[in-house]
Amino acid sequence: MKKSIFSWLLISSLGFFGTAFAQSDDYPTLSQVNQRMQQVAKNSNATLTSLIKTAGGKDIWVLKVGTGDLDQKPAIAVVGGVEGFHVLSTELAVQFAEKLVAEHADALQTTTFYIFPNMSPDAYEQYHAALKYERRGNAISVDHDRDGKAGENGYSDLNGDGMITWMRVEDPMGDYVVSKQDDRVLEKADRSKGEAGKYLVYKESRDDDKDGNFAEDLKEGIAFNKSMTYKFPVFQPLAGDIPVSQLESRAMLDYLFEQWNIFAFVTFSPANNLSTPLKYNAGDARKRVVTSILEKDQTINAMISGIYNETVSQKAFQQNNQGTDGDFFQWAYFHFGRLSFGTPGYWVPEYKGADGKGKSNAEANYLAWADSLGWNDVFVPWTEIQHPDFPGKKVEVGGIKPFLMANPPYVQVGKIADEHTDFILKLAAMQPKLEMLNIKIESLGNGLTRISADLFNNSPLPTHSDMGERSRWLRKVRVDLDVPQDRIISGDKIQLIDVIDAYQKVSLSWIVKGSGAVPVKAGAPHVGFINANFKL
Amino acid sequence: MKKINTLKMIVMLAFATLWIAVNPAKAQEKFFRAVGTPHKPKVELTFNKYYTYEGLVDAMKKIAAAHPGLAKIESIGKSYLGRDIMTLTITDFSVGKSEEKPAMWIDGNIHSNEIQGGEFSLYAAWYLTEMQGDNEFIQELLRDKTFYITPTINPDARNDFFLEPNTANSPRSGMMVLDNDGDGMAGEDGMDDLDGDGHITMMIRKSPTGRFIKDPQDPRKLIMVEADKVGEYEMLGQEGTDGDGDGRVNDDGVGYYDPNRDWGWNWQPDYIQRGALRYPFTLPENRSVMEFVMKHPNIAGAQSFHNSGGMILRGPGAEEDVNTYNREDIRIYDVIGKKGEELLPGYRYIVVYKDLYSVFGGELDWFYGNRGIFTYSNELMTSYLYFHKQSAGRGNQDENFDVDKYLTMGDAFVNWHEYEHPQFGTVEIGGFKKTFGRAHPGFLLEQDAHRNAAFTIYHAYHTPKLSIMDVKEEELGGGLKAITATIFNERLMPTHASQDLKYKIERPDYVTISGAKVVAGFVVEDEDFNKFAEQKMSPERIAVENVPGMSAVKVKWIVSSGSNYSITVDSAKGGKASWKK
Repeated sequence: MKKSIFSWLLISSLGFFGTAFAQSDDYPTLSQVNQRMQQVAKNSNATLTSLIKTAGGKDIWVLKVGTGDLDQKPAIAVVGGVEGFHVLSTELAVQFAEKLVAEHADALQTTTFYIFPNMSPDAYEQYHAALKYERRGNAISVDHDRDGKAGENGYSDLNGDGMITWMRVEDPMGDYVVSKQDDRVLEKADRSKGEAGKYLVYKESRDDDKDGNFAEDLKEGIAFNKSMTYKFPVFQPLAGDIPVSQLESRAMLDYLFEQWNIFAFVTFSPANNLSTPLKYNAGDARKRVVTSILEKDQTINAMISGIYNETVSQKAFQQNNQGTDGDFFQWAYFHFGRLSFGTPGYWVPEYKGADGKGKSNAEANYLAWADSLGWNDVFVPWTEIQHPDFPGKKVEVGGIKPFLMANPPYVQVGKIADEHTDFILKLAAMQPKLEMLNIKIESLGNGLTRISADLFNNSPLPTHSDMGERSRWLRKVRVDLDVPQDRIISGDKIQLIDVIDAYQKVSLSWIVKGSGAVPVKAGAPHVGFINANFKL
Repeated sequence: MKKINTLKMIVMLAFATLWIAVNPAKAQEKFFRAVGTPHKPKVELTFNKYYTYEGLVDAMKKIAAAHPGLAKIESIGKSYLGRDIMTLTITDFSVGKSEEKPAMWIDGNIHSNEIQGGEFSLYAAWYLTEMQGDNEFIQELLRDKTFYITPTINPDARNDFFLEPNTANSPRSGMMVLDNDGDGMAGEDGMDDLDGDGHITMMIRKSPTGRFIKDPQDPRKLIMVEADKVGEYEMLGQEGTDGDGDGRVNDDGVGYYDPNRDWGWNWQPDYIQRGALRYPFTLPENRSVMEFVMKHPNIAGAQSFHNSGGMILRGPGAEEDVNTYNREDIRIYDVIGKKGEELLPGYRYIVVYKDLYSVFGGELDWFYGNRGIFTYSNELMTSYLYFHKQSAGRGNQDENFDVDKYLTMGDAFVNWHEYEHPQFGTVEIGGFKKTFGRAHPGFLLEQDAHRNAAFTIYHAYHTPKLSIMDVKEEELGGGLKAITATIFNERLMPTHASQDLKYKIERPDYVTISGAKVVAGFVVEDEDFNKFAEQKMSPERIAVENVPGMSAVKVKWIVSSGSNYSITVDSAKGGKASWKK
């Protein structure tokens, strides 16, 4: 009876979610994201916390999900909204949270989860705003072109269609030509083959500050994914003067530095080391400022990438972003010492026409694919307008609509979310796992006992990656023998172990005086703890 | 004629002063003025002792109260434990706005055990305010420049150094406590002042297998016996106990982190740069300084006081940053740094990364790399000051024993004395005090403070000084005339360091003409050959990207009317100047 009521509740709550999705055929607004996170947080295993409000007054949420002693179990952090225009990433994080508490509570027995659904809420809002464009920066005011005045040349909706696309100016000095693969698409003239250009190409904008540049001083602030410490692109637009300068980035990092149990990150952002793992470069790994994944960690990345490609059905295509300067995904590995996995979750698939030929130009490929599906509203046809900054010149506005290349139609999200939830749960199942094996209690006579045991890591992952071993922000595996110091004749009361590799052991041995139970505790927050009791 | 009058006047004034001095101020008659030092200062300060945080703030408040027209005191933020980080703004407030004059930032004590930066900064503030009344050079300096002086940017641990048991090397960080030994507990095995004298010294123990004996000619000194001789003592290391039962003494105390690895230029994490924290400006003390500097773009020069070793350091801190410091700026660094070597006997002007060690995320690199401010770190105190000869450097034991014997008469050393240690049994505790070695002994403090203040004053003097000279008119006919103005920078530093120009850190300098109808405006590239760069937008306000040191830039306007025009120049780091027809 009790069980059936529970099942009924479960079904009805799923049904509620189901209808909520069914009613909407587009990505959620910020308030819908908030409502759904609050709904998830009604589950007793989940706690929702607002870390801070952004300059735009939006909450930065973290949902912590787990049971029992949450901080003593290894944890995975799932991060979305790393780029504001990548609205899919927030939806994937939210759906992961929903599915985790509703369908996969068993995973919480061994793993704790931190879900950051949206790190760029100020920028995310642009998706639903009256003027739609792919935005990265938050709500503060920044002088991106460093001329002494902030945000004075953003975009302009020249054709009044409510979105920012591109503009092309017919000009013999232009460096763009019409693509041979698709006459809607522009690409750079191939100067090496002596090709002349025909168009100047800019984002849809005016030269508001009359400095000869277009959309170079955007009316948006700092981009979360361009302002972390790893390879921080100092002084560049959207990055600012110093790394981790923003309220949301500081609040998140301050929070993460207090969570010692995170062993891996899964970041939904344009960077991808899951379709193809990062490549180890001995030279870059040996320099003191390390810019290559370390050798041992590359094999971990390759193994997890294999699991990802088995779990996620979409075949990789043009996935060549393996990190950009100042991004979050690389920070998590290079500066925070955690295993870090990243995927956009979605990419435009490779499309081959009837002749079996594909198109190397990403936009041409997208348009061919969209055409084949009969999507006829993805492109704004090039249309001539009068542009005040180009009197007497032919200026046309057009191009692929914003958001479409990075985000799939909403109806496709369910399957993507299911597959990525599976992947994260598979990763959780691989977490380091300590066991105490081969326990031997030998009496040496006269009240002395030798205790020996193997501390075994029953996992395909090491307790510490190479980078993790270097980091101050991961704890060592600690073994505590809980008897008074004066009873220990040899061996350490407290022992610190740098690393136990995948399916490897560390042998422990003590000689103890007296009788009675001797409790031992071993582990680290990101590895989990085990307790054993030696009976003398 | 005028000279004689002035002379008479001075003589009369001198008699008058003498008369006043002799009568009511009896205390002063016993003193006669020494050259170069404030005489009868409004604030009595002595520089032969060290000041706690409260002592520094008390002195700063007295300076601000005694010189309301020259000094203001403010808190620029809070320390980790909530103390105010106090800054004095010193300038002649009756002339111009403090935030519009080229400025010099001075701080000390970022490493908490490097204490005398506090006293040296305070000395500079005291000297400037007390000398202004009767020194023409200081009067002009404070009319032109602003000094922002923050004697301690690590107030919590400054007090810890004095008031809690420490060595000369501890604490280097602030008072935040971290897990140093990786066992998951923070600060569980700190220093133990076993003999209760406030100094953490050394422990030795008698041992049949020991390799040391006490030097028979000076029993303070422990010397190693010859290879074939039996010794008497073994070294046990630092005074302390194993507080957490892991077999190591004093292995997890305050810190450890390094406040001078926390700055946002080429910052690297702890595994690359030991001592770094979470991200740049994790520390509230550094964040306060950073925010203050960001809000004061007039800061053109900076000085950070450390100890020890007698060094005038410039960046880069790391070889990876060699290209950040280019030749034009190094030329200016060199001129000022070499002057420093003359002013500071025993000090060497050197470069951090190649002459000292590598530093990522250091303060001086942030000031220069991120803000284009010419910055030095001085490592105060050098053993040269003891006997005026180059010795084997800091930590030269024999010299230290001689210093203590002949100059400080045994005051610098804790003589060996027995102690019953809970883990080691009977030991002897002794060694040099925490206030010796890195810190100046009292009798050397004032002189070196003055010399370092003189160096920062020379540095501040050479922040840019702009003037508008040589405004020329030329009739062009048709009601048009050309006006050419020369903007001169009469000091060493440019308004924009080359690093600043490379990244457009600071806005350009603006040269504006008003009271004239401007038809066109130009920066003159070559006057003799008529080469001009036209500025089409807002030609009445010409943006000049830089006015180099000891050089001039010319701007030119074509105007159609205006006979009573005026010209102003407005530079963030170079201040303001104006000219009126």
